[in-house]
Amino acid sequence: MINAVLVFNNNGQPRLTKFYTQLDTQTQQSLIEQIYKLVARRPSSACNFLPLPPILSQGAASSSAGPSDAPTQITYRTYATLSFIMISTSTESPLALIDLIQVFVEALDRMFENVCELDLIFGYETMHAVLSEMIVGGVVVETNIDKITAGVRNQEGYAGKKKAVQAASASLGRGALPGLGAWR
Amino acid sequence: MHQIHGPVILIELPTFEKSLYDLIKGLRNHKGGEDEYVQDCLRECKAEIKSQDMDKKATALLKLIYLEMFGYDMSWAAFNVLEVMSSSKYLQKRVGYLGAVQSFRPDTEVLMLATNMLKKDIVSPNIPSLSLPLITLPHIITPSLAMSLLPDIISRLSHSSPVVRKKTIVCLYRLALVYPEALKLSWPKIKDHLMDDQEDISVTTAAINVVCELGWRRPQDFLPLAPRLFELLVDSGNNWMAIKIIKLFATLTPLEPRLTRKLLRPLTNIIQTTSAMSLLYECINGIIQGGILDGEENLQERDEVATLCVGKLRGMIVIDSDPNLKYVALLALNRIVTTHPMLVSVQQDVIMDCLDDPDVSIRLQALELAAGIVTSDTLQPVVNRLVNQLQLASLSTSRDAPDPEADAYARAGTESPEGQRASNVGPDPIIDLPSEYRTEVVNRVLDVCSQGNYAEVIDFEWYVGILVKLVSLLPPSGLEEYWQQPQTGQWSSNGSKTTVAYRIGSEIRNVAVRVRGVRREATRSAESLLLVDNRSILFPAGSNVGIDVLGPVAWVVGEYAECLVSPDRTLQSLIDPSNTCLASGTLQLFLQAIPKVFVQLNRTWEARDTWKSELSLLLARVVDFLELLAAHPDLDVQERAIEFLEVLRLGAEAMHSNSQEVPFLLASIIPSLFEGLELNPVALSAQKKVVLPPSLRLDEAFHDDLPGLFRNVDRSMLDVDTRSTLQDFYHVPDLSPPVNKPLYESAPVEMHLDSSYQNTLGRPMEYPSVLEKKKVERRERFRDDPFYIAPGSSSGTSTPIHDVFKSTNGDALDIDSIPIVDLKLDEGQQGRFDRDPLMSRRISPRKMEVATDETFGSDDTPLHDGLAGITGGSTSSKRSLLQVDSSGLGQLSLGRNGDRDAVVAGDEGDAEMKKAMQNVEQMRLHMQRASERIQLEGTPAEGTLVKKKKSKKKLKDGDADKTERSRVRGKKKKKEAA
Repeated sequence: MINAVLVFNNNGQPRLTKFYTQLDTQTQQSLIEQIYKLVARRPSSACNFLPLPPILSQGAASSSAGPSDAPTQITYRTYATLSFIMISTSTESPLALIDLIQVFVEALDRMFENVCELDLIFGYETMHAVLSEMIVGGVVVETNIDKITAGVRNQEGYAGKKKAVQAASASLGRGALPGLGAWR
Repeated sequence: MHQIHGPVILIELPTFEKSLYDLIKGLRNHKGGEDEYVQDCLRECKAEIKSQDMDKKATALLKLIYLEMFGYDMSWAAFNVLEVMSSSKYLQKRVGYLGAVQSFRPDTEVLMLATNMLKKDIVSPNIPSLSLPLITLPHIITPSLAMSLLPDIISRLSHSSPVVRKKTIVCLYRLALVYPEALKLSWPKIKDHLMDDQEDISVTTAAINVVCELGWRRPQDFLPLAPRLFELLVDSGNNWMAIKIIKLFATLTPLEPRLTRKLLRPLTNIIQTTSAMSLLYECINGIIQGGILDGEENLQERDEVATLCVGKLRGMIVIDSDPNLKYVALLALNRIVTTHPMLVSVQQDVIMDCLDDPDVSIRLQALELAAGIVTSDTLQPVVNRLVNQLQLASLSTSRDAPDPEADAYARAGTESPEGQRASNVGPDPIIDLPSEYRTEVVNRVLDVCSQGNYAEVIDFEWYVGILVKLVSLLPPSGLEEYWQQPQTGQWSSNGSKTTVAYRIGSEIRNVAVRVRGVRREATRSAESLLLVDNRSILFPAGSNVGIDVLGPVAWVVGEYAECLVSPDRTLQSLIDPSNTCLASGTLQLFLQAIPKVFVQLNRTWEARDTWKSELSLLLARVVDFLELLAAHPDLDVQERAIEFLEVLRLGAEAMHSNSQEVPFLLASIIPSLFEGLELNPVALSAQKKVVLPPSLRLDEAFHDDLPGLFRNVDRSMLDVDTRSTLQDFYHVPDLSPPVNKPLYESAPVEMHLDSSYQNTLGRPMEYPSVLEKKKVERRERFRDDPFYIAPGSSSGTSTPIHDVFKSTNGDALDIDSIPIVDLKLDEGQQGRFDRDPLMSRRISPRKMEVATDETFGSDDTPLHDGLAGITGGSTSSKRSLLQVDSSGLGQLSLGRNGDRDAVVAGDEGDAEMKKAMQNVEQMRLHMQRASERIQLEGTPAEGTLVKKKKSKKKLKDGDADKTERSRVRGKKKKKEAA
C-alpha cells in the first residue's frame, strides 16, 4: 500500500502532505525534511527511486524478506519546481508508482489547465480532492484521468478551479510544469 | 479594503478577516519574519474558529490546515473540526473532513462525538457528501468507531455508483485492519463484486488492490480466487490490474504448485509481447518471487524461463538508457541471485559497469549484487575498484575542504591534485559521493571479504593493506550508525552500536588471530595505525570517525607484541596523554595492551647495558599514564588501570635495588601474566555446548547452613576488637576527612591468610595420599578427553605461571584439575610463522590457512539465536514509521471451516465491544458536558447552543439504541452465514 504522498518544491516547502497513517506533526516534518534532503542532492539524470531515509530505515525489514507492513520504497518525480513523492510498501510496483505520479500530475494539469506551482498553492484543496479520487486509505482506487477529473468536478464544479487560477495569475507570473508529455 | 475571496471556499466573507489567499500572500510578503506572521495568524484563527458564523469557522479551519502542513500544531482545534464537518454546505463539510484527515491523531478524543454525524453522512443521497466519510475514515478509524459504522458502510457496497462502491471496498479494508470482524462480514460481498463479470472495471481493480494487500497475510484464503484472477490477468488488458494480479500470484504460487504450471505460459507470453516495461518487470519479478524458478520438475522449461528473464533484465540495463529500468533490473537480479547465482554471474560485466554509474541508488543495488556474485577470482578486482572509487571521492572532498591540513594531505598523497583530477577523474565526473554511500561501500567490502570465514580471500596481505586504506577513506559523517544494515551488524564488545571504524579494527584483529601466515603483517599494520605520528596520515583528516578502529588494533598490538617493528614507539603511542579522552571501550583495550608491549620491550632491552635507566624511565612514564586513568569515570577502565598501576609500581620499587639484574618481578612474574596458551577464535555457541560433568551440581547448596558457616569463620578469624572495627567500617558513616594515602595502607582489616576454611570447619584435612589418589583418578578419567590437558604433554602447554604458583602454594593448589581447552597447535604452522616476510611476499598469492571458530558437536544451533536475544530481538519488535499494522488479520480466517469458532470468538468480541461501547458512551457524555461548560464560561450568548446540544444528546442516546439493534442484526446475518 501507499504510506504517504508528499509534494514539496525545490526549497523543501511542502505543498501537500498526506499520510495514510496517523503521525504526529513533529515526525511528519522531520520525515519531509529528510526526504527533501535526499531528493535535493540527486541529479536530474538519476533514477526515480530513493533509499530509505534514516527515520524510515530504522526497524525496517530488509527488502529481500518479502512483503511486510513496513514501507520499503520511495518513488519520486520532479516536475519543474515541484517534487512528487510516494512512500510505499513492497506490494506496490515501483514502475507503476512512477506512472501513478504521472497520472496525478496530468489530472492536476487537467484541473488547472497548464498547472504550475502557484496553482497548487492556491488550489490546495483541489489538489487534495484530486488525490483522494485516486488513492483512498493508501490503496489506489482510480488511475483513469477522465474518471478522476470527473470525480473532482462533481465535487466543486468548474468554479473552484477558475477562482484559483484567477487568484494565482492576478499578481504573479505563471509557468507551466514541463515534462508532462506522455511518459512511456 | 479590497478583499479577494478564498479560491475554493466560495464564501462571501466579511471584510475584516483573511482568506486562505490572503494568508498565503501574507506569508510570501513576510519572508524572514514568517514565524511571527504565522503566530499572528494563528491567534486570529483561534478567535475566528469560535465564531458562530460557519463561513468564518470554515475559512479559519482551512487556514489552520494549510499552516499544519508547515508543522504548526492544530490539535487544539479538534472540536472545531467536528463542528465544520457537521456543516450542511458541502464545500464547508469538505474542509472539515480534510481537517480531520490532516490533524486527527490516535489520541484525538473528540472523535467519539462524531459517530452519529458520520453515520448520517455515509447514507447521504449526495455522492460527494457520501464519499467524504469513506475517504476520511481510513485515516481516523478506531475499533469502536469501526464497529458502530460497519453496517452502514457495508450497505454502501451495493450503491448504484461504482465510485461509491470502489471507495467502500477500500474503506472496509482499512476498517478490517483495526477491527478484523469487518472483513469477515464484508468479504462475501467484496468477493461477489470481484467475481462479477459485469462489474465496473474500477471497482474490480480496487477489489484486486485490496486483495493484493491482504494476500500475503493469508494467501490460503485467496487460493479459491485463482481461476478468476487468471481470467482477469489474461483477458482484462488493464496493465495496472495485471501488475497487481501478478503480485498477488507471487504470494499464492508457493502454496499451490499446480498454479506454477498454469502461470508459466501466460507470463512468458506477456514477457515476450508486452510493450509496457512496468508489466514486463512485474512478470519477471512475479516469476522470481513466486518461486516459479525454484522447483525440481520441468527443469528444462524452468531454465528457459530463467534465461529469458535474465536476458530481458540485461536488456533493461544495457539497451535502455533509462536509469529507472536499470535500477529495477538490478533489484530483480538481486532476487534471482539467491537461487540462480550462476545465471547472474554471467551478467557480471554489466553489473560491474553499474558500480560506476553516476546514480548512487543504482550503485547501491549493483554493490549488493556484486557482493552476491563475487568468487575468489573476482574479489580482488571488485574490491580494488570500490576502493579506488572511495579514494577519488575522498580526494574530492578533501580538495573542497578549506582545512589546510586536508589540503596538505591531498598534496602529499598525489604530487599534484590538479593532475590527479585530470588523469583519474576525467572519465568519471561524479566524484561527490554521499557519505552514506561511502560508508555502505566500506561495509560491503568488509562483508564480501569476510563472508564464509574469508572463503574468497586468497591474498591476505592484500586484504590487510585494503583494511588500512579503508580507515583513511572513512567518510566524515556522524550519520553512519543510521545506515548500518541490520544484517551486516556485528556486535562490539561493549554492546553499543558498532561503527564502521570498529568493524575495520575487528577485521584486522580477526585476520591476525585466524590467519597465522599474515599475523606479522597484520600486527605491523595495526602498529602503523596505532602510532600517534601516523594518525594525521592514515586517518581521515579533520574528523575523528576512524578513532574506533584503535580499540581492536590495540589488542592485536598487545597480543602479538613479538611481531612489532618498534615496541618502543608503539608503547609511546599507547601511553600518549592524548589517549585519555578516547572512548572507554577503546581505553579498556589500550590498558590491556600496555603491559603486554611493556613486557616485550623489556625483553628486547635486557641485553643492553643501559637497560636499568631506560627501564626506570619507561616505568615512570607508564605509571604516569595509568595514574591519569586511575580515576576514570568508567569503572572498567578504572579497575584495569589501578590493577596494572599497582603491579607496575611494585616493579618500579624493585628497580631501586642495587642489583644489576632485572628484578624477578619484571623479568618473570609480570611476563608470566600474559603467557600461556594462544588464543583461538571460539564460536559464539561453543560455551553453551560444554557438557556439565555429572558430578557437578550447580543447584545444590554448598552447605546447609551457609550464613552460620560465615559466622563461624568470622568468630574464629577475628578477635572482638577487630570485629567491631569491621562492623564500624560497614555500618558507621565515615565522618573524618579523606586521608590522602593509598588505599591499601588504610585498609582496616588484617587478613589472616594462613587460616584455612577447612580448619575452622573442623573437618579433617585431606591427606596428601588421598589427594594424590584423587588426582590419578581424575587423570584416568580425562585421559581420552581432548578438552583436558594430559599431564604428560605439559611441557608444551604448561606455562611458567604454574611453576610460580606451585613454588608458593605447594601441591595443594591443583592446577591440573582446572579444565582448560587444549589448543594444541599444528607444528607445521609454527614453521611458516617464522618465515621471512620478504620471502613470503614474493610467493604470494598463496592459499592461507584460516582458522575457523572453534566449537564442538554439530553446529545445529544457529548463531542468530544468541544474537537475536542480544540485538535482533529489539529491532524486530520495533515498528517502522508509517507502518500500517495488518497483523490483526493474520488470525482471521475467511474460509468456511473457520466460521464456527469465528462466531464464538465473535460473541466474546461482542461482549467486549458492549463494554467498550459503554465506555465510549460515558466518555462521550463526559466530553459533551465539558465542552458545554466551556461554552458557558466563554461566551454568555451560547444559551441557544446549549439547548441544541441537549436535544442532540437525546438524539444520540436514541442512536446508540439503533447501533445496538443494527449490531444484533449483523450478528444474525453472521449466524445465517454459518
